[in-house]
Amino acid sequence: MTATAAMLEIKDLHAKVGEKEILKGINLTVRPGEIHAIMGPNGSGKSTLSQVLAGRETFEVTSGQVLYQGQDLMALSPEDRATAGIFLAFQYPVEIPGVGNMHFLRTALNAVRRKHGEEEVDAMDFLSLIKEKMKLVEMDQAFMNRSLNEGFSGGEKKRNEILQMAVLDPKLAILDETDSGLDIDALRIVAAGVNGLRRKDRAMLVITHYQRLLEYIVPDFVHVIAGGRIVKSGDRSLALELEQKGYAWVDAQVAGAPAPGARP
Amino acid sequence: MSGEPAFVAAARQSGAAAFQALGGLPTTRQEAWRWTNVQPLGRIPFDAPAPGGGAADLGALQLAPGTVRLAFIDGRWSAAHSSVGALPAGVRLRSLQQALRDDPAAVEALLGQVARAEEHPFTALNAAHLLDGAVLEIDAGVTAPSPIELVFAQRAASPATTHPRVLIRLGAGARAQVAELYAALSTGAYLTNAVTEVSLGEGAELEHAKLQMEGDGGYHVGTLWAAQSRASHLRSHVFSLGALLARSEVSARFDGEGGRCELNGLYVGQGQQHLDHHTSLDHKSPGCTSREVYKGILDGRSRGVFTGAVRVREGAQKTDASQSNKALLLSEDASAEATPQLQIFADDVKCAHGAAVGQLDDQALFYLRSRGIPLPQARALLTRAFAEEVVRGVSVAPWQRRIEAVLARKLGGEVRA
Repeated sequence: MTATAAMLEIKDLHAKVGEKEILKGINLTVRPGEIHAIMGPNGSGKSTLSQVLAGRETFEVTSGQVLYQGQDLMALSPEDRATAGIFLAFQYPVEIPGVGNMHFLRTALNAVRRKHGEEEVDAMDFLSLIKEKMKLVEMDQAFMNRSLNEGFSGGEKKRNEILQMAVLDPKLAILDETDSGLDIDALRIVAAGVNGLRRKDRAMLVITHYQRLLEYIVPDFVHVIAGGRIVKSGDRSLALELEQKGYAWVDAQVAGAPAPGARP
Repeated sequence: MSGEPAFVAAARQSGAAAFQALGGLPTTRQEAWRWTNVQPLGRIPFDAPAPGGGAADLGALQLAPGTVRLAFIDGRWSAAHSSVGALPAGVRLRSLQQALRDDPAAVEALLGQVARAEEHPFTALNAAHLLDGAVLEIDAGVTAPSPIELVFAQRAASPATTHPRVLIRLGAGARAQVAELYAALSTGAYLTNAVTEVSLGEGAELEHAKLQMEGDGGYHVGTLWAAQSRASHLRSHVFSLGALLARSEVSARFDGEGGRCELNGLYVGQGQQHLDHHTSLDHKSPGCTSREVYKGILDGRSRGVFTGAVRVREGAQKTDASQSNKALLLSEDASAEATPQLQIFADDVKCAHGAAVGQLDDQALFYLRSRGIPLPQARALLTRAFAEEVVRGVSVAPWQRRIEAVLARKLGGEVRA
């Protein structure tokens, strides 16, 4: 055991959707300040893991345990997880016509503040706060007056996710394929935004299919997920190796040997 | 009534005759009334409540302070609650009784000219009991100075019926915004049976909003009949927010080419509310455009009904008609019916329609909750967002604010800063 207490401990987590088991024994420990990348082929369960951690009810956790700051995470509603400091940047942010982006963000921030017994932020104070945060992801204020994600391009949606993260100030951020659908310029802006939010007391789970993102957001650990389990863990060189050899290499390993314990 | 012009009595007689000929109150065996049983209305006397009854406070029913307003209490014009002030030349707004005294010829030129009592039992009944209402005339080229409010308040506690008649005539190129607000000062059972006739001259523009905010025990039947001349533009909004049972109809016809008609509707049902909407668009002339969006939000055991008839007649080429009806069910016991009725007799036309009944989107709910917004607040937010498209269609800010306030009370949540 190291001196720092774990922020997130996932122990033998199994989850299914309908009758289909997708997570088949995930083990992972994340400490404050760490960035963990989770890589894997399509259908490996990496997005399911992010949704399960955020509390999506479509997935049923069948066994295992997830401790967040020592607390049983699975017992909490999605909103309680959020107010406890967990943030999921969606792979596909939802478009909600009719809800103003600014109003949504302030509602979310005030929900978190209420929960912590803090005073709500009024529209004026929020405006100055948001102006500051928007610089981080090079967003124009015009975005704030539009409906939430409605008609946003892929890059705009992802920037909006990182903006929400900046405003809500989470302890554990889960970035679910934040690089998908981004061109290189948008990727650079989004990655810079994320890097600007790195902190000693904040952990991140960066879920991605491609090594490319990890050139911008440099992880401390890399895990490879396949068939619902973490089959390989290492440092960032693992991502490069994976890039060279492809996911077929992982599949061969899964077929060959049972998964090792995932803690690097 | 003494001194009343003969054509009024004639209109009452022919209304009564039409009501008889149509077989009285419709039954659910008639296609147009299949989903709405109005037979219980037969227990409410069709006569107006007696006049008088002391002071009434309509303050809460004002949409915008200081605006042009005609107010009616128990179906009769109330001078004390109205504020018309000095209107510019070319704009005349009077109660029906006033207009019959001052300018009967103007009333005669409008009354029954657009509405078809012979086709509609409630329009016939309204004619048979004609008593009061509003007459708005705007001469060619004149724009009404501000939005106009017509407030119909039910005060009498005893069961009774009022039959307001609103006549609106816009000359060529004239423009106006008119809201009709229906509400109650008591909680008893009563019936409002309103008829509005709209005649739009060439290129005229009317934005019309009906805010049906009747009392909990109230019954409401209201029909807007519109006839549009060439290149005229009608924007109609129907907000069904109150009443135990309500039927709102809009029937518009294009008498000339290049007309445009927008029909927006929002119905919000709770408890046992039954909210029925019937629209009918008659594309008689070529090159006309109609845009129809009706949305329903249904909770409790409420039921929403939408029937949208679009008729494109032979020769009405280049017609562009679209119709959309979406209903959101918030409880398992709520229900929604949607019946599009398209009859197309021309070949070079665009006609689209869509109807959907659904629940709140799980993904959207999860998205909001994942940001810390509690489930009830997330539900309210999405429900209000669903209504926004229709609410934003209203261009008069005070009307919009009033509707938002009612929605906030009924649904909770806020969607804007």
